[in-house]
Amino acid sequence: MDSPQLHIIAYCCEHCAYAAADLAGGLRMQYPPEVKIVQIPCTGRIDVLTVLRAIEDGADGVMAAG
Amino acid sequence: MAHIQDLLTAIGLEPDRAQMFNMSAAMASAFVTVAQEMTERIARLGPNPLRGPLDTLTDSERGE
Amino acid sequence: MIVAEQKSLDEIKSLIGDAERVLVVGCGTCVTVCFAGGAREAAIVAASLRMATKLDGNGKDVTDVTVQRQCEWEYLDEIAEQIEGADLVLSLGCGIGVQAIAEHFPRKWVVPGLNTSFMGLPTEQGVWAERCAACGDCVLGLTGGICPIARCSKSLLNGPCGGSEGGHCEINPDIPCAWQLIYDRLSALGKLDLLMAIQPPKNWKTSRDGGPRKIVRDDLRLGAEEE
Repeated sequence: MDSPQLHIIAYCCEHCAYAAADLAGGLRMQYPPEVKIVQIPCTGRIDVLTVLRAIEDGADGVMAAG
Repeated sequence: MAHIQDLLTAIGLEPDRAQMFNMSAAMASAFVTVAQEMTERIARLGPNPLRGPLDTLTDSERGE
Repeated sequence: MIVAEQKSLDEIKSLIGDAERVLVVGCGTCVTVCFAGGAREAAIVAASLRMATKLDGNGKDVTDVTVQRQCEWEYLDEIAEQIEGADLVLSLGCGIGVQAIAEHFPRKWVVPGLNTSFMGLPTEQGVWAERCAACGDCVLGLTGGICPIARCSKSLLNGPCGGSEGGHCEINPDIPCAWQLIYDRLSALGKLDLLMAIQPPKNWKTSRDGGPRKIVRDDLRLGAEEE
């Protein structure tokens, strides 16, 4: 890959999107390696600062999934 | 999420860099779809301009 | 509480000008509970400024700290070192906080990050409304606990004006007529007779019309007994 490696932080609710991602893994489904999953107890845990800090520290994108 | 996107715009970044998605625990394919969708969207925007020069090296430049 | 609103990031950036080391100071009291200038907002403003100035090509050193109350010297003394180390202080306190910092640190340039709006309360989540105008001569005992100074657009003291229509104010139909509220409440409490007394012209000297105000309590002053 000769374009800069992208980093997308995916904050995933452990009851919804994290479980869905887990299932996707169990089913051997492929998703882009740029997406890095962070497990959180609930999307309500995400604050403006959570997103700002990820972007300030160099994340190219932030997704909240729940 | 709309508030975060307004803030990103005020800072001078693309609001699309932050997105919210909804799905249930059984929706494995939905997760794969939104992961692909988000990756394509960010690839169009390019790297975060706040990243330092070292962070934006390509894999081959970094010797990986 | 004192209710304030954050200035736009653009205005804050222009207030900061060419200062390189900026200290964002939050306040842990009124502006924390109205979500304008607490610890969380100070961290958000600091991160936003770091990113915005870096994108503009001149990344600034922006840090943040929050004190319990900006309006008392004691709390400001706790962060004296950080204030001295900064080129500029961006206060996220109300107008009192900004002035307290300016007065306590005479050589430090201080700018406001908020617009101080009024004294009021949250009527529902995300909505704040004015309740007190600090007139210095409280009339709430005559009006059933509803302030005609702060809540009547014209600060009338002897009943509604001719523009009160269907319980709303003629200045803005979204504002309930304070005198309608007063009448309804006194009526419900069986105290309408209170309205029969004609109120003499109010002495506005205790309000801002008498110039800047000051309260001196000799029973509390240190050394007052010996004087």
